[in-house]
Amino acid sequence: MGESPRSGSGSRQLLLRIRRGLFASPLDTVITVVLAVLCGGGLWSFFHWVVLQADWAVVVENVRLYLHGRFPVEQVGRSWSWLGLLGALFLVTLMPARMLPRPVLRLLPLLWILILPIGLLLLAGGLGLEPVKSRFWGGLQLSLLLTLGTVLMALPLGILLALARRSSLPLLRWLTTGYIELTRGMPLIAVLFFGQLMIPLFLPEGWTFNRVLRAVLSLGFFVGAYMAEDVRGGLQAIPRTQLEAARSLGLSPLLTIALVELPQALRTALPSLANQCVASLQSTSLLAYLGLIELLGISRSILGNPDYLGRHLEVYIWLALLYWAVCILMTSLARRLERGLNVTGHH
Amino acid sequence: MSPEPLASGRLPGRRKRLLLILLQAAIGLLVLGVVALLLTNLQLNLLRRGLELSFDWLGEPARFPLPRGLLPYRTEDSYAWAFVVGLVNSLQVVVAGLVLATILGVIGGAANFSSNWLLRQLAGLYVAVARNVPPLLHLLFWYFVVFLGVPAARNGVNAVAEWLNLPVSVEFVALLIGLTVYTGAYISEVVRGGINSVPRGQWEAARSLGFGEGRTLRLIILPQALRAILPGLNSQYINLAKNSTLAIAVGYSDLFSIVNTTFNQTGRSIEAFALLVLAFLAVDLLISGVMNVLNRLVLRHG
Repeated sequence: MGESPRSGSGSRQLLLRIRRGLFASPLDTVITVVLAVLCGGGLWSFFHWVVLQADWAVVVENVRLYLHGRFPVEQVGRSWSWLGLLGALFLVTLMPARMLPRPVLRLLPLLWILILPIGLLLLAGGLGLEPVKSRFWGGLQLSLLLTLGTVLMALPLGILLALARRSSLPLLRWLTTGYIELTRGMPLIAVLFFGQLMIPLFLPEGWTFNRVLRAVLSLGFFVGAYMAEDVRGGLQAIPRTQLEAARSLGLSPLLTIALVELPQALRTALPSLANQCVASLQSTSLLAYLGLIELLGISRSILGNPDYLGRHLEVYIWLALLYWAVCILMTSLARRLERGLNVTGHH
Repeated sequence: MSPEPLASGRLPGRRKRLLLILLQAAIGLLVLGVVALLLTNLQLNLLRRGLELSFDWLGEPARFPLPRGLLPYRTEDSYAWAFVVGLVNSLQVVVAGLVLATILGVIGGAANFSSNWLLRQLAGLYVAVARNVPPLLHLLFWYFVVFLGVPAARNGVNAVAEWLNLPVSVEFVALLIGLTVYTGAYISEVVRGGINSVPRGQWEAARSLGFGEGRTLRLIILPQALRAILPGLNSQYINLAKNSTLAIAVGYSDLFSIVNTTFNQTGRSIEAFALLVLAFLAVDLLISGVMNVLNRLVLRHG
């Protein structure tokens, strides 16, 4: 507490700071020593394991499976191109705004929407590309596709639900409130279970759609309810004077929503919406238990191979790194967006 | 919470009211129509499979085996009893998880304010790592790596279970620790936010009265932080309850896994799913209810 970051010169200052930060009292010293021993021991046995015991063959020999699942080997370039495009889009969006020409900057939101149909085209085939059935999609590629699809569906749904929950029509309000609260009360795996096994029961005979789409629909409906609450929080934070100003300018109700309320609400809600995107990525791993071979699903089948008996830790560390990296990319994207919005919002 | 009227008053009153009523009638009819269509499809599909909606099968013997739990269960027992056993198994892990995750979260959150540099860094590292890894991966790690991979851990759990004569399985402990570590990271963020909301002057006042760090936190800061912490805790508790359904990944027989087995055995997806949803709504309401009572107590006495 209260450590002043004065940049004192000399080693004496440093010693003082170390003493204050680590050995301020006898109890503090005990805590520091115990923690240091535990950390040191943990790190030591971890490195010992990494160097002497771990066998990374289970990761190295299966990189293609982790990235593309069982995508046909001769077509794997298509999966690579989609991952490459997505990565490039991430990097471009993360670049400082002043380094990008204005037209590119304006096209970015459109590109983020278009990347989904482009991905579907590349993976599913058509337009001269050989068709690949969705059950051959998998690995990181499928996880990212599911996440992107979910977010692109859940965000507009969430906005509509949030607006409807605040509408002046009681019926609409009740219906959306009921939907949002019911959905938020249910465990996600139950919703996905419903989506994978029960949606066909509600459709006319002969109507089927593939399980990737069913998964995106159920995830989208689920995440949409959570995003609705985030957007509603943003809407509630708008000062009343803004609405009065819009009215006195003669803006119609629809224009007020589109030009005054939503931009401000979305900016406020951005951090929590970003958390929902991260949660969506993490949620796709549940689909491994409902027959999709996304990143976790393919890992489970690799671990089922007797050649890699008991190599769980290697695989889980590798998975944790992959998920962690994508999560970090998504959060930094959100932070970048937040800064961008603040810049444009203040002039 | 008074909803903001979005439609502005430009139409004359009566015409506007009529329009609003008509609009709502249209929405109502649309929703009813869609629901009716879906239900008709459902009925046709179920008829085709010879599985008309009914709950009679709940009385039939379940026939699947379950590991020993808090409640007695034999394979001749009915599906209904299997559901009850599953619900109790779920509640067992949820309640234990709530307690442990709260303890871990309070320690983790408070550690952010320690004068000890190492402790602060570790608290930050814990939250950053635990939150960015899917909860499912947490469970798989504890189950496959720790409890199935290290014989000493497995034997330790079994020895303790035998010693205390409790039906505690390795699956239960793996699920419990996984949920605790994952939820604890979120709770520690909630606690950190709550402590942050207490004015800094309180720390300084306590210090000038000669209070040590631990006593300041326990007697002065945490009681005041509580009113900011409780609402956040509520949603984390509900998340923990919902995440307990990930038990299916480690083979613990919670309510969801029993619903899943029942579905595979009988094909009764709609009925089993309805029971699952009802059970979870009840659990959510229970948690929210208890937390609301606590919240009111804190607001009154805090």
